[in-house]
Amino acid sequence: MQRTVAAAEFLAASALSQADAVGAFARDGLLSSQEVFTQQLVTGLSNGMIIALIAIGYTMVYGIIELINFAHGDLCMLGAYFALTVVGALGVDHWVGAGGLMGLVMVLVGTAAFCGSLNWSINRLAYRPLRKASKLSLLVSAIGASFILVNLGLFWGGLPMDVFANGTSSAAPKAFPALVSAAPAAQIGDVIYSRTDLLVLCVTLPLMVALTYLVRFTKLGKAMRAVAQNPTGASLMGIDVERVIGATFFIGGSLGGFATVVYSLYNQTVSFQMGYRMGMDAFIAAVLGGIGNLPGAVLGGILIGVIRSMSDGYLEARWTNTVVFGILILILVFRPSGLLGAKLREKV
Amino acid sequence: MIRRTASIVAALTGAAFLLAAAPLNHAQDTPSKTLKIVSSLPQTGSANAQTTSIVNGIKMAIEERGAVVDGFKIEFEAMDDASPQKGNWDGQIESANAKRAIADPAVVGYIGTYNSGAAKISMPLLNKAGVVMVSPGNTAAGLTKPGLGEPNEPAVYRPSGKVSYFRVVPADDIQGAVACEFCREDLKAKKVFILHDRELYGKGIADVFKKTAESTGVQVVGFEGIDAKASNYRSLVTKIRAAAPDAVFFGGTTQTNAAQVLKDLRAGGCKVPFVSPDGTFEKAFIEAAGKDSVTKDQGGVYITFGGVPSEMLTGIGAQFVKNYQKKYGEIPEAYAVYGYEAGCVLLDAIDRAETKDRAAIIAAVAATKNFNGALGTWSFDENGDTSIRTMSINTIEDGAFKFVRTAGGAAKAK
Amino acid sequence: MAISSKRITINLMLIAVVAIIPVVEKYVPLGWHISDPMTDVFVYAILGLGLNILTGFTGLLNLGVAAFAAIGAYVFAISTCEIYPFQLGFWSALGLTMAAGALAGFALGAPTLRVRGDYLAIVTLGFGEIVKDVLVNMDSITKGTQGINPLPPPTLFGTELSGNGQYWLFMGIVLVVVAGARRLERSRIGRGWISIREDELASRAMGIRPDHAKMLAFATCASLAALAGALTASRLSSSGEPGNYDFQISILALCIVIVGGLGSVRGVLLGALVMVGMNSIVLVKLTELIGGSDAAPASALADAHGVQWALLFIKTWAQNVLMSPTNWKFLVFGLALVLMMIFRPEGMLPARGTKEDAPDGDDGASGATAVANKELRP
Repeated sequence: MQRTVAAAEFLAASALSQADAVGAFARDGLLSSQEVFTQQLVTGLSNGMIIALIAIGYTMVYGIIELINFAHGDLCMLGAYFALTVVGALGVDHWVGAGGLMGLVMVLVGTAAFCGSLNWSINRLAYRPLRKASKLSLLVSAIGASFILVNLGLFWGGLPMDVFANGTSSAAPKAFPALVSAAPAAQIGDVIYSRTDLLVLCVTLPLMVALTYLVRFTKLGKAMRAVAQNPTGASLMGIDVERVIGATFFIGGSLGGFATVVYSLYNQTVSFQMGYRMGMDAFIAAVLGGIGNLPGAVLGGILIGVIRSMSDGYLEARWTNTVVFGILILILVFRPSGLLGAKLREKV
Repeated sequence: MIRRTASIVAALTGAAFLLAAAPLNHAQDTPSKTLKIVSSLPQTGSANAQTTSIVNGIKMAIEERGAVVDGFKIEFEAMDDASPQKGNWDGQIESANAKRAIADPAVVGYIGTYNSGAAKISMPLLNKAGVVMVSPGNTAAGLTKPGLGEPNEPAVYRPSGKVSYFRVVPADDIQGAVACEFCREDLKAKKVFILHDRELYGKGIADVFKKTAESTGVQVVGFEGIDAKASNYRSLVTKIRAAAPDAVFFGGTTQTNAAQVLKDLRAGGCKVPFVSPDGTFEKAFIEAAGKDSVTKDQGGVYITFGGVPSEMLTGIGAQFVKNYQKKYGEIPEAYAVYGYEAGCVLLDAIDRAETKDRAAIIAAVAATKNFNGALGTWSFDENGDTSIRTMSINTIEDGAFKFVRTAGGAAKAK
Repeated sequence: MAISSKRITINLMLIAVVAIIPVVEKYVPLGWHISDPMTDVFVYAILGLGLNILTGFTGLLNLGVAAFAAIGAYVFAISTCEIYPFQLGFWSALGLTMAAGALAGFALGAPTLRVRGDYLAIVTLGFGEIVKDVLVNMDSITKGTQGINPLPPPTLFGTELSGNGQYWLFMGIVLVVVAGARRLERSRIGRGWISIREDELASRAMGIRPDHAKMLAFATCASLAALAGALTASRLSSSGEPGNYDFQISILALCIVIVGGLGSVRGVLLGALVMVGMNSIVLVKLTELIGGSDAAPASALADAHGVQWALLFIKTWAQNVLMSPTNWKFLVFGLALVLMMIFRPEGMLPARGTKEDAPDGDDGASGATAVANKELRP
C-alpha cells in the first residue's frame, strides 16, 4: 500500500512539478486566486467522479426498466456500513504496507459484491413482481425499498462493535477509518492534491473503462442494450430478459459498492441518512447527462461536482443547492432530454 | 332510496350531536390518584442518541422517588415528535402530542421539546391549556427573553398571560458570547471564520458570536450558512484557507454535520482551532470526528457547554452520573442531566403543590428557588429561565471530553 | 341510475361516519382518539387531490408538490401574522394563498412545457429544493428556520374555530375540493387533461391545446397544494420551518395518490387515510406496544468468547437497537409501501380510466395507469 501510494505520489509530483517549474504557483501559505481556483477544481472533480460512479448505477437501471431507482442511494449507504463492518471485524485499518493495499482491494471488491447482490435481491423481491404494473407503482415500490434500507442501516449502526461506537447510538454518524490517509500526495504552491483525490481517480476511471467495454463489446452488454431498446423483441430473439435485468441490477449495484467505499474513504463519515444525498446527486447527474446514457451520467456527475464546488467557493454555500437545481432546470428547459440524451421521439 | 338514506344519516348525525352536548363527567369526576408526566422529543432519526439519554434521565428522576410523589403515583410516557418521513421533528406530530397531553386530565407536566422550532408550536397550546412545560433542550433566546427574538416574542407563547414554560438549560445569548470571548482571550484569535447550519439553534448562536466579535474587535472574515446534508465541505474549506482565519466557529450540532466540517477542515489543510457549541457536546461527535482530526497539533477542538460536563459534576450531579453508568453502562450524553434535572424539578414542584391540579403545579414550578439539583443550586427567574449562567469550555483528548475552564456567569454552579 | 343512487347512499353514509368521529370518540379511551390525526388526513387529502389532477388526470409526474404547500403556508403566514403589516383575515388570506399558488404553478409550468416524463419529475424536484432553500435563506422576510407565528385560527362567520370546529371545517373543505375535482374530471377541461394523458398527439388533433391544458393542471394542482399548506399553518398557528415541506412530503403525497389509485378521487381519499393514519395511529400504537427497554452496555462483550460472545453480541444488539420501537418506523412504512404495490399495483381503489360507463367493481387494467406508463417514457 505504502509503496504503491509512494509510487503514485512520485508520478503525480513529477507530472505536476512541470507546472511548478513554470512558476505559476508560489508556496506562501496564502492562496492566490489562481490557486483557489485550481483547488476548487480538484475538489469538484473528485466529488464529481464519485457522483458519476453512483449515477451510472442509476442510469443503467433506468435504461433497462425505466425505473428511477430511489433505493440506489440507500443501497450505497448500506454498502458503506458493510465496508465499515469488514474493516472493524478484520482490523483492516491496522494493516500496513502491501497488506494495507490488499485490505483496501478486498474491502472494495467485497462491498461491490455485497451491493451487487443486495441490488439483485431488491430487484427480485420488490421490483420483479411489478414488471407488468405501471411505472409509478414501481416507483412507489422503490421508495418503499429505500425506507426499508434506511431502517436496516439504523439497525446496523447499532451493532455492538468498536467501529459503530459499541452500538450505543445507532443513529449517530460513524467515523470511517482513514485506510488511505487524507495527507497531501502532492502540493504545488498551496494547492493540495490529497491521496484520497488520487484514490478516487484510481478507482473510478478503470471502472468506467471496464464498464464501457462490457456494455459495448461483450455478449451481455449487447443483450442489455437489446433489452433496453425493446424487451419484447429481445425476448423473441431468445434473450432471457429477466436474467439480463438481474445482471444489470447486479452490475449497477456493485458500481455503487465501489463508489460508496471511495466515498467513505474520501469523507470519512458514514451515517444511515447519507443515502439521500448520494442518491439525489447521482439522480440529478444522470438526468443532466440524459438518463439512460452512460457517458451522460459521467458527464453529469462531474458537472454537478464542479458546479457545487465552484458555487461553494465563489458564491455562498447556502445557495449551492439553488444554483445546482437552477442550472439543471435551465439545461432541461433548453435541452429537454439532458445533455447527451436521445432526442424525444414524437409519437406517430 | 336516497331519501331514506338521507333521513337515516340525518337521524344519526342528530343523535351524535345530542351525545356531544351531553355532559361528560367520567373524566373529571373522581380525583385520580395517578399523575402523568409526558415527554415529547424527536426519537426517530439523528437526534435519537441525545433524546434517548434525556428520556433515561427523566426515568431515573422518577424511579429515584419510587414513582410516587406525596401519595400520588407518577406515570411517565415518552412521546416521539419526529416522523419517519422527516427523520426529524415534525410540527404536526408535535402539535398532536401537545393536544394528546392536554386531553388527558392525568397529565400534569410536559417535558420537551428538544428543538426550539418544535417548542414554538406546542408552547402556546400548552400555555392556553395550563399544562406546565419544562424543556431540557431548547436554547433559542426568544422563547423566554423579551427583546432577543421577534418583537412579539415571548408574549406570543403565553396566550394565557402567565409563564408556564421553563427551561433548565441556559439560552443561546450566553453561549455565543462565551464562545467568542474564549476565541479572543484564550486562542488569541484576531480573525475568525463563522459557519452555521442555518437552523434556529446554530444560526442563533452564530449570530450572537458574530455580534460579540464585532463589538470586541475580532475581525469576522467570513459568515456562511452550510448545507447540513452535503457529503463534504472541501470547497468551503478552500475558501476558509484563502481567508486565513485564526479560528473557525461552527454554530450547529452533530446532527447538522459538525464532525464532517471538522474533518474536512483538517483534510483540506486548514489547521486552526475549531470552536463549536453544546450541540456537539456528545460522544457521538467525538466518534463521528474520528481520532485524527481532533488532536491539538491539528489545531484543536473547543466546545462550549451550559453548565459543567458530567464528569465535573459534584454532589447530586456526580451521583446521577454514577447511577446512570450503573444502570445503562455508559457515561450519559451531555443532555441526559438536563432531562434528569427537568424531571427532578417537576417532581419537586408536584410535591410542593398543595393541590395536584395543573394550575397549582405551574405555580409551584415557577416558585422554584434555590433548587438543589444535579446542575447545582439554582432558581427559575420570572421569564422561566434558569439562573445558571455558568458555561464550561471543553476540549477533546484521548477520545473523551476534557474540561478546560469555566466561563461567563457570575454565579458558580456549585 | 340505480348504481349511482347506491353510490350516493354509500358516500353519504361514509361522510356521516367521518363527521361523527369527534363526537363518538369522547366515549372511547384517550389513546384511541383519532380526530386530531384525522384533521391531518384532511389536509393531506387536499394535497393529494391537487397532485392527482396533475399526475393522475394529466399524467405529469410531480416530485415537488410540497414546495407549493410551502408557498401556501408562507403566503398565508405573511399575509396574516401580526408581525407583518398585512394582517388579512382567515378567508381572504386563504383566497390570496390559492391565487399565489396558482401563480407559482404557472411560473413552473410555463417554461417546462417541453420537458417530459422523468425529466419533468426532476424539474419539479429541483423546484421544491429551490423553494425550500429560498425560504431558509431569505430570512429577513421568512424568518429562516424559525417559522412565522402566531397565525390566526380558522374562522367561520366571525367565530374562531378550534378542535371539533376545525375538524368539521376541514372536512367541509375536503368535500368541496372532492366535488370540484369530480366536476372537473367530467368537464371539458378534465376530459382534455385525460386525453392528453392518453395520447397527446391525438388530443392535439382533436383540437385540444395541450399547452393550455397542462398549464391549467399545474395551476390547479399548485393552488390546492397551497391551500393544504395554508390550512396546516393555520392549524399549527405557525408556518413551521421550510424543512417541514421538503422532498419527503412530496414523496408522501405521491405515495398517497399512487397507493390510493392513480387518477381516482376516492382512491386519493383512502390513500390519505392509510398513509397518514399509518403515521399517526399505527406507528404510535406500535411504539406503545413494543414499549422499549433499557439499553445494555457493550462492555461485557470484551470478556466473552466463542458462542457465548455471539449470543451476547446478539443480545446486546437486540436490547439496544431492536427493542427500541422508534427504530422500526421507517421499516414498517417502507414495507407497507412495497407490499401494497406488490399486491395492489394499481392502488387500492383504481380509477376506471376512461371507461365512464363501466359497471361497478371493474378494477381490471386501469386506463389511467396503463397510459401514464406509456406517456412517461422519454
